[in-house]
Amino acid sequence: MKDVSLDLPESAVLGLIGPNGSGKSTLLNVIAGVDKPTSGIVKLDSKRIDNLRTNRVVRYGLAKTHQIPKPFSNMTARENVAVAVLYGRRNIHSPSSALQEAERTLSLVGMGSRNDAPAGNLTVQEKKKLELARAIATGASVLLLDEVFAGLSPEELKDSIQLFKKLHEELHFSALVVEHVMRAVLSLSQKVMVLEEGRVIATGSPDEIVHDEKVIQAYLGSKNPAT
Amino acid sequence: MVAVELLVRDLAFGLMLGCVFSVVAHGLNIIWGVVKVVNIAHGEFIMLGAYGAYFLNLFAGMNPLETAPVDAIIGLFVGYAFYYAFLHRELHNKEMITLQSEMVTLAATFGLSLFISNLAIILFTGNPVGIIYNPGILQFGYLTVPLAALYVAILSVLIIAGTWLFLERTFIGSAIRAYAQDVTATELVGADPAKVASLATALGFAVTMAGGALLTVWVPVGINPLMGALYAPISFVIVVLGGPGKMWGSLVGGLTLGVVIDLVQAFATAQIAYAAAFLILIPVLVFRPKGILK
Amino acid sequence: MNLQKPGLTLYGLFIVMAFLAAAALLLGVAVSSILVVLLIYAALAYSINFITGMMGYVDFGHVLFMAIGSYALATLVSYYGANPLLGVGAGAVLGLVFAFGIGLVILRFRGVYFAIATVVLVLAAYNIVLQLPQLGTGGEIIFNRPLQPLAPYFTIWTIVMIEIALTYYVNRSRIGFGIRAIKSEEDAASSVGVSPQRLKLIGYMLGGLFGGAAGAVYSWSTSGVTAGPAFDFTFSLLMLAMIIIGGVGSSIGPLLGAVVVYIPSYFLLTSVSQAQPLIIGLLVIIMALFLPDGVVGLLRRSNDRLRLVLE
Repeated sequence: MKDVSLDLPESAVLGLIGPNGSGKSTLLNVIAGVDKPTSGIVKLDSKRIDNLRTNRVVRYGLAKTHQIPKPFSNMTARENVAVAVLYGRRNIHSPSSALQEAERTLSLVGMGSRNDAPAGNLTVQEKKKLELARAIATGASVLLLDEVFAGLSPEELKDSIQLFKKLHEELHFSALVVEHVMRAVLSLSQKVMVLEEGRVIATGSPDEIVHDEKVIQAYLGSKNPAT
Repeated sequence: MVAVELLVRDLAFGLMLGCVFSVVAHGLNIIWGVVKVVNIAHGEFIMLGAYGAYFLNLFAGMNPLETAPVDAIIGLFVGYAFYYAFLHRELHNKEMITLQSEMVTLAATFGLSLFISNLAIILFTGNPVGIIYNPGILQFGYLTVPLAALYVAILSVLIIAGTWLFLERTFIGSAIRAYAQDVTATELVGADPAKVASLATALGFAVTMAGGALLTVWVPVGINPLMGALYAPISFVIVVLGGPGKMWGSLVGGLTLGVVIDLVQAFATAQIAYAAAFLILIPVLVFRPKGILK
Repeated sequence: MNLQKPGLTLYGLFIVMAFLAAAALLLGVAVSSILVVLLIYAALAYSINFITGMMGYVDFGHVLFMAIGSYALATLVSYYGANPLLGVGAGAVLGLVFAFGIGLVILRFRGVYFAIATVVLVLAAYNIVLQLPQLGTGGEIIFNRPLQPLAPYFTIWTIVMIEIALTYYVNRSRIGFGIRAIKSEEDAASSVGVSPQRLKLIGYMLGGLFGGAAGAVYSWSTSGVTAGPAFDFTFSLLMLAMIIIGGVGSSIGPLLGAVVVYIPSYFLLTSVSQAQPLIIGLLVIIMALFLPDGVVGLLRRSNDRLRLVLE
């Protein structure tokens, strides 16, 4: 990545798009502390976090989901979320309280009926919701979402977008949403940033981005043969 | 002999020993690299190969060079059996070894290791045996090179080169290499994953047992049921040094270890030499988890 | 799962331990000298359970801590005439300290690499011990103490009681959630705030602490230590077998596994001594391939009530 800088205000949703290999996931990994930046810094509420490990970053209120869901398959859905409650920044250390909180969070994301399901048996969409529930349950105020809308049917997509809007209204988190699914990004973000080969090639409102020449070129190749 | 001459001699012997170490480790490398399973009982199959050489020598007068191919063929069958007994269930419907099944195969092969070695103690008794094989020596100035060691080293390199050719130049070999990278892709090109995995395992065992036969030249009085306990860790260190799945890594790792052990043995006891060889593993893992070959 | 009061499992385990205590007191020396080995096995099983059962890090080299404890007690008692209880304490402390130092380095390795590193350490330690004259020729230290079977018995009994309570507590506490998360998906655990470095080190140190303590009692009860048997991988196999058979990670598993493994091997000692690792090896193979969650796992899967009760 080269010269990427961004600013995420409170409660804002920033969409991050770009062709494959443009560095979107890398950017998320660097912010979340999974990878170290070779240069540059990351600040959360004016505290520097780029030199911190992922679990410390969570304590400061930033949580990231995984592109390919990684549920704890030796536990139920409720227990999965309970881990997040116990180890996030909520200072809840009692397992029984954590399990109750976990139930609450799971019903928030619409998984109330799956509390006792072994996490390994969940459907793909449910696993993605579990990722989201875990991230929220840590008490994070900043969420980094890595392609949570990928691989969903049109019906599931509609539900997920609705769910996200509802959650955002209730919880007021700020979010960096990496996506390929345009419908999701454009309807949920206030601002969109476009990466190509590690560089930022455009930022702006969803509407501006959709009409930006550089963005169209990046996605379609050199010149649109139709024009 | 002068210091430099001693050094050259140790180096030469270390390299020849290293070649045999390479073959001994190569089977583990193949199985680890392709099927992604680490056979803790690896040492026991080396031991069986060595005993095979011993008995063929005792009853049929064959020398280790002749026994190696026989052991290899036996190894093929043993490998197939091992695959279907231990690995087929775990691998059949899954893409790769999950963490749970990794624990399972580690535990199961650990049990197998102690089972085989103790069975060997009962069947063969604990008394060490050996093979006498001395086709002569070669004299390079002050350097006396036993032909047995030389022949075995050459055959070792040939075996490694042979497996490399097999993997690179034949269709089945490519299927194996494809499987090592991506199991589903193997199906897409029309190869049956179970057949590929079982063949790779069989190949690994064949090389392992042949290696055991060649090793007997270096342990003229040391073939015993517990020798696996020494050569398994040596194999592991070699594979980690060279990088699991990197075919020439076995040679690089083997030569390195052979030289280190021989050189250290010149100044200290055999025990310290082996301890040093094992301890090399730790810094390698800390600094270069994928091995020293890039 | 009711987390407020201790469940049936804990009471059940305490009842079993009470029987074992009573048996030793009432039935005489012969019985307690048999049962002391059972309890040592159980202590070892609980100690490896922290590392391998709960965290999923296969510790083939766990016998190292046992050896550390054995040598600690043997040197203190033989060379300094110390009270064996001091030796047990020393074994525990040394086990803890070594686990801390070793853990800092090797816990960053995953899966197979960790397992191999533990093996390498045992081999290196074995070779080093043979070179040290302070630890006897051939690493052998023997001492003579008046026969007092109840002292080591109740020492190891206490150790096992502590381990049972600790295992039970860890499984139900916040730490247990973190450890189970690490066992399943270590990287995902970090992403929800778990510190794998810290928890793994704690687990490994617990394993070292109790492994060292158990090893010390072992050398107390055998009046000595010899390098070959002290570093024998058969012990590691036994420990793994016990937790695999019993049920990895559970509170009952290690004790159950110890009983299953020890009772037959006591009777087998009268026949071929090689048969023990042979049969244990076979048992491990079968359990690992067909029943990886052990007897406890099998029982929990077969009956809903048992699933709630057995931990």
